[in-house]
Amino acid sequence: MKWRLAFLLALALPDLPLDPFRGGLAASFWHPLGVDDLGRDALLRLLLAGARSVGFASACALLALGLALFLAWHGRRWRGALSALRSLPPVLFLLPLAAAAGGIGATALLLLLGLLLAPHLEPPLRVKLDAFRQSPAWAAERTLGATPASTLRRWAPWGLAQAAVLFPSAWLGALWGEATLSTLGLGPGPDHDSLGRLLLEHLPRLATDPSPLGWGALILVLALAWSASGSASPKCE
Amino acid sequence: MRPMVQGAAIWLVALVLAWSLPGALWRPIPPPPFPTHALLPAGLAVSILALAAPLLAWLGGPRLASRRSLALLEAPPDLLWAGALLACWPASWGPPGQVGWLVAFLAAALPGEVRWLSAALPGEMPFPVAWGPEVVRRARRLALARLTTRWLAARLPIWLTASLVLERLLGVPGLGMDWMDRVVGRDRVGLAAWVAALALLWLLSRPLDAEAVS
Repeated sequence: MKWRLAFLLALALPDLPLDPFRGGLAASFWHPLGVDDLGRDALLRLLLAGARSVGFASACALLALGLALFLAWHGRRWRGALSALRSLPPVLFLLPLAAAAGGIGATALLLLLGLLLAPHLEPPLRVKLDAFRQSPAWAAERTLGATPASTLRRWAPWGLAQAAVLFPSAWLGALWGEATLSTLGLGPGPDHDSLGRLLLEHLPRLATDPSPLGWGALILVLALAWSASGSASPKCE
Repeated sequence: MRPMVQGAAIWLVALVLAWSLPGALWRPIPPPPFPTHALLPAGLAVSILALAAPLLAWLGGPRLASRRSLALLEAPPDLLWAGALLACWPASWGPPGQVGWLVAFLAAALPGEVRWLSAALPGEMPFPVAWGPEVVRRARRLALARLTTRWLAARLPIWLTASLVLERLLGVPGLGMDWMDRVVGRDRVGLAAWVAALALLWLLSRPLDAEAVS
């Protein structure tokens, strides 16, 4: 979880400088993957886009997990409503919405993905919190008249540890949600460089004009998928 | 009963939203025709998936759920399969078309579904393993027969999403694109029909949800 959270800093990194007069250079010693059409070093761009995608997904997963914790604790009465919300995959909802609106900005996408992923993370969290709620420790807290603040102070680390187990699933859901929208040209604009954006630019010509940047983006997507495959439960599509 | 009412209320709100979808096209055009040509490939894909996934889960049993190789196959997103297909498809063969879509769809969906079904199968140690392989096979068959209908209802929206992504990337119009086109084209009646179909799938998958909670 920690290495993914470190990538939140990548969201604050500046864009690479453009130099269109030096664009389209082949691979060389100084530019191992070449230079893209706008004069940016392809390797640097790949690393920056990957880091930003990971950072964006981490921010989104944090938001989704926070909401899921809230729903798991307070949303017992709304179990039926949450079940209905879970039955619609986030991307199936977001793609037509983005197409109708002509694209979604990065902040709006972060909020929407967080909102849509939270109901999917709520059931496993609820199972863990329910076990705690029915435990003697919780009953003792209430009987002895502990204040909500003291209860929160004592049990928040435990609750966060339970939520952290679900972080890889939330992270993968957010990562693929953003990548899918961007690859289909419906994600945030060109100012939000990401893996999806690279795939949007390079996938259509990968068969006829194979660029190292396109292949690099595909390999990075595979590496990120496999990095979480051991710890993530079913995909939150 | 109350969860059912709440869920029905959510779908009712979705239906009302679909019916009163805001916005209008600059130049109104008739709604796109339903892609009947895509029904056969979609039916074929769902049939293959509905036969192959339970068969593999029956052969492999609950152990498959923890198999590392299956997890690695399940992990990549749908877009990676489409991207890999586009990158490896010889240009001289023309566009990938429906065959490419079917291959990418099965590659994207099958590992995840086999793992999903295997994870849903009950444990086999110490029983029914102690009673012999024939009983194990029968227990798996009964569990899968009980699961299959609700598994299909619960997973169809996921497959529609995968189909939509692959259709857009491979340029093959199909059912996923139809759902999207109705929103973009502000076809409120068609969209309401889609929402009603998704609500029906939710209703059919409900017992599964209830069992998972208990």
